[in-house]
Amino acid sequence: MDAGLSEDELVARAREERATIASRYRLGREEGAVIDSWEDPELEIYHTTDRYGFIHDGRLPQSRTKEESKQLDLEISRLPKWLKMIKSWDKYWGKEKFIKRVYKGIPDRVRGIVWARLLFLDQMKEEQKGKYEEMRRLGCKWSTDVRQIDLDVNRTYRDHMMFRKRYDVKQQQLFHILVAYSMYNQEVGYCQGMSQIAALLLMYLNEEDAFWALSALMASPKYAMHGFFIPGFPKLLRYQQHHDKILEKFLPKLKKHLERNCIDSGLYTLKWFFQCFLDRVPFPLTLRLWDVFLLEGERLLLAFAYTALKLHRRQIARLDMDQILDYLQKKLEKNFGYEDDYVIESLEKAMEELRKAKLDHPGAPPDHELPQQPFGMFTEPSVEKESGVRRDFTEEERLITERLMKRTETIALNGSHLSVDRGQSPLYSANALRLNLCPSSSPSFFSLASSPHCPSLSCHSSFSPSLRCAGKQNSIAVSHAPSLHHLSPPCHSIIHPSPLSPPPYALACSPPCLTVSPPSSLSSHSSPSLSTPPSPAHTFHAASMLRVPHCSSPFSSPVSPPLCSSPTFYKVSPSSSSKVPPPIGHSVFSFPTPISPFSSSVTASQDVSVVFVLWL
Amino acid sequence: MAQRGGAQRPSGGGQGKICQFKLVLLGESAVGKSSLVLRFVKGQFHEYQESTIGAAFLTQTVCLDDTTVKFEIWDTAGQERYHSLAPMYYRGAQAAIVVYDITNQDTFGRAKTWVKELQRQASPNIVIALAGNKADLANKRMVEYEEAQTYAEENSLLFMETSAKTAMNVNDIFLAIAKKLPKSDNNARSCWMLQVITFKTGETM
Repeated sequence: MDAGLSEDELVARAREERATIASRYRLGREEGAVIDSWEDPELEIYHTTDRYGFIHDGRLPQSRTKEESKQLDLEISRLPKWLKMIKSWDKYWGKEKFIKRVYKGIPDRVRGIVWARLLFLDQMKEEQKGKYEEMRRLGCKWSTDVRQIDLDVNRTYRDHMMFRKRYDVKQQQLFHILVAYSMYNQEVGYCQGMSQIAALLLMYLNEEDAFWALSALMASPKYAMHGFFIPGFPKLLRYQQHHDKILEKFLPKLKKHLERNCIDSGLYTLKWFFQCFLDRVPFPLTLRLWDVFLLEGERLLLAFAYTALKLHRRQIARLDMDQILDYLQKKLEKNFGYEDDYVIESLEKAMEELRKAKLDHPGAPPDHELPQQPFGMFTEPSVEKESGVRRDFTEEERLITERLMKRTETIALNGSHLSVDRGQSPLYSANALRLNLCPSSSPSFFSLASSPHCPSLSCHSSFSPSLRCAGKQNSIAVSHAPSLHHLSPPCHSIIHPSPLSPPPYALACSPPCLTVSPPSSLSSHSSPSLSTPPSPAHTFHAASMLRVPHCSSPFSSPVSPPLCSSPTFYKVSPSSSSKVPPPIGHSVFSFPTPISPFSSSVTASQDVSVVFVLWL
Repeated sequence: MAQRGGAQRPSGGGQGKICQFKLVLLGESAVGKSSLVLRFVKGQFHEYQESTIGAAFLTQTVCLDDTTVKFEIWDTAGQERYHSLAPMYYRGAQAAIVVYDITNQDTFGRAKTWVKELQRQASPNIVIALAGNKADLANKRMVEYEEAQTYAEENSLLFMETSAKTAMNVNDIFLAIAKKLPKSDNNARSCWMLQVITFKTGETM
C-alpha cells in the first residue's frame, strides 16, 4: 500500500504499531498513559451543536418516568422467582415456565447470570481452561486486527459510562476480548460489528465470560454468527433471501412497496442480523430481544425482522425511500412506538406464524458458512496479512458480491422513488395527495400508494408526465400539459437540449416540436392526436410546464403509444391547507373533478394553485 | 400554496427543478466518512462517531442558482472486509467522495486504490471528489496538500482538504460536486421539476 516501504519494512512497522497499541491497553490509565485530550471525553461532551453554534447538552430527566418505575417494580417483584430458578437451574431450564419468563424479560440484575447459563459459559471455560489467557497474549503480539480493533474500541459505546474513559478497565477488556477472539477464530478474525456485541456482553459479563459468550455466539450452531462475519458474509445473503420469502408470503404489499422504492432488504437487514438489532431499536427493547435470542437462537433474527416490519407496515407504506430508510435506521431506535411487552408478544405470535408456515428457519447452513479450521490454534500471520497489503477478493467473495448486486439491480429495475408530497405532515389534510412518481429505466406502469382517496394511482414512469388515477374516477389526478407523445417524431430525437436558461424554455426550440392541439380540434376525439401549432393559451402551458427532454435520453426507444395516449387534464382545486406553504419538495393537491382532456378552456372557479411535476 | 421554486402566472417563470443524485462515500476505516456526512446533513460532529456497519443512508439537498440538487448519500463501512459490498453502493452512483485522513499516509494510498476501482468499475461519468479529512489536525499532517492536489489533477478529481470537526470545506465539497454534476441530462438519478402555477378566480387556462 505504501509505495515507499519494502515488505519487510511494512511488516516491521506493523509489528511495532501492534506492540504500541497493545502496550497502551495493558497500561490502561496508569501513570504514563498517553491519552490525547480528544480521546477522553468530558461528561459534558455528549452534545450537539446547532447551526448557529449553540451547544445543546441533551440530558435525561431528573427522575424516572412512570413507565420506568413500573418496569423496575415489576422486575423486582419477579426477582425471587428468578433467583429460585437460577438455584435449581436444571429443574427449570427448557421448561415452559422458564421460557415464558424469559420472554417476559430477564430482570436486569440477574441478566448476566442467566445469559451465562443460556450460553453454557461455565462448561466452555471448564473445557478450555487457560485458553483465553493464551489467546489474549498471542493476539496482542500477532493479531493483524489489532489496529482495526483499536480504532473501533475508541468509538464503541463511548456514550456509555463503562466505555467512556479511554483505556479504562472496560475498554481494556473490550480490546482484549476482541484481540483474543481474532486469534482464536482466525477465519472470522475481527469484523466491524463485533465490537458492539462484545461491548454489550461486557455490560453483563466479566472479561473471560464475555469472550466465551462471543465465541458461543459465533460458533454454536444455535447462533452461528460465524457465517455472518466471515469474508463474503455468506449467511447474510441466505438470511436475506429467507427474509424476502417471509415478506412475500406474509407481507406482500409491503414487499412491493419496498421494492418500488428501490429498497432491497439487504439495505436494512445487515445491521439487524449482524448485531441482533443493536442500535436499531431502543436499548431496553434490544435487551429483551437478546434475552429471546440467547434462548431461541438465530430464528429470532428472522422472526423479529418480520415482526418489526409487520408492526410498522402501515407507517412504512406511507413513506418513500429516504423516509423508509430513515425510519428503519433512526426512528425505530429512538422510539419503537409500541410497549416492549406488546412487541415481544407480537414476536411470539410471529414466531408461531412462521413455524406453522415452516418458514421459521431457513434450514441447515451450507458447509462454507461453518468454521473450517480448529479454534485456538496459533499460526503466524502471512507476510501479506501482516504488512497490511490488501488482498484480492476470493472467488467466493466475488460470487456473493455479484449475487448481492443482482438483487439490488433487479429491484432497481422494478422500482424507483421520488415523492413530491411527503404526505406525513398533519398539515396536509386527508385529501392531500401523495404523489409518488416513479421514473424508471424502462417505461412501465406502477401502481402507487397514495392517499385513501386514490388507492391506486398510477404513474407513467417514462417521459410522459401524465399521471392518471386508476382508482376512483372523481378522486385525483394530475396531468402536466400535453404528454410528450405529441412530440413528433418520437421524443428522443427532436429537441435540442436547451441550456438551463430562464423560462419560458421549451417553445424556444425549433422546429416547433411541441404542438398542442387547439381545443376545438379535440372535441370530437377521444384521444388527442395533434399537430397544429399551439395557440397562445397553450403556449403558456407548454412553456411553463414542459421542460424539454434531452437528446441523449435514457429512453432510447420511443415511448410506447398505449402508455402515452389520452393524457388527461383535471381541474384542480386548492387544497384546504393551501395557506401553509409546504416544505420544499412537497406539494399539496386535491382534485375533485376530472375534466375532459384539452377542454377548450378551464376557468378557475376559485383561486387555485396547480403543481406540475415534470420529468426532465 | 406552494410557491417555493414555483412560478406565478403569467410569466410561468421560476422553476422547481430538482435533480436527484446518488453519492457514495468510500475510504479507509476511521478517516471520517460518516463524520463528513453527519456534518453535511445535520451540522453535527461526534468525536466518537460509531463505526458504520454495512452502510448508512442519508439525504441532503443543496440549492444552486437554478436547481435543487438532492443527494442520496450512501456512507459505507471502511473495513476491508466490507469492501466486497461496496459495488452495491457505488454502482449507479453519479458521484463519489473518496476520503482519506491527512494524518495517515496509508489512508491516502487506500484512497488511490478506491479511485482506481471507481474509474474501472463505476459509471464512466461519475464525478469523483477526493477529500483530505481531519484538516484540523494539520500539526500531525502526513500527506502534503500539494501531493494530493497533484494526484487529484492528474486524475481529474475535485479535491479539497476538509474537516468534519470544524466544518471546513464540508459543505463546499458537496456543493462543488453539485455544480459539476450535469443536471439536464440522463446522468442524474432523476431530474424533475415542480412548477406551481396560481390562477386567480375567473382566470382561464
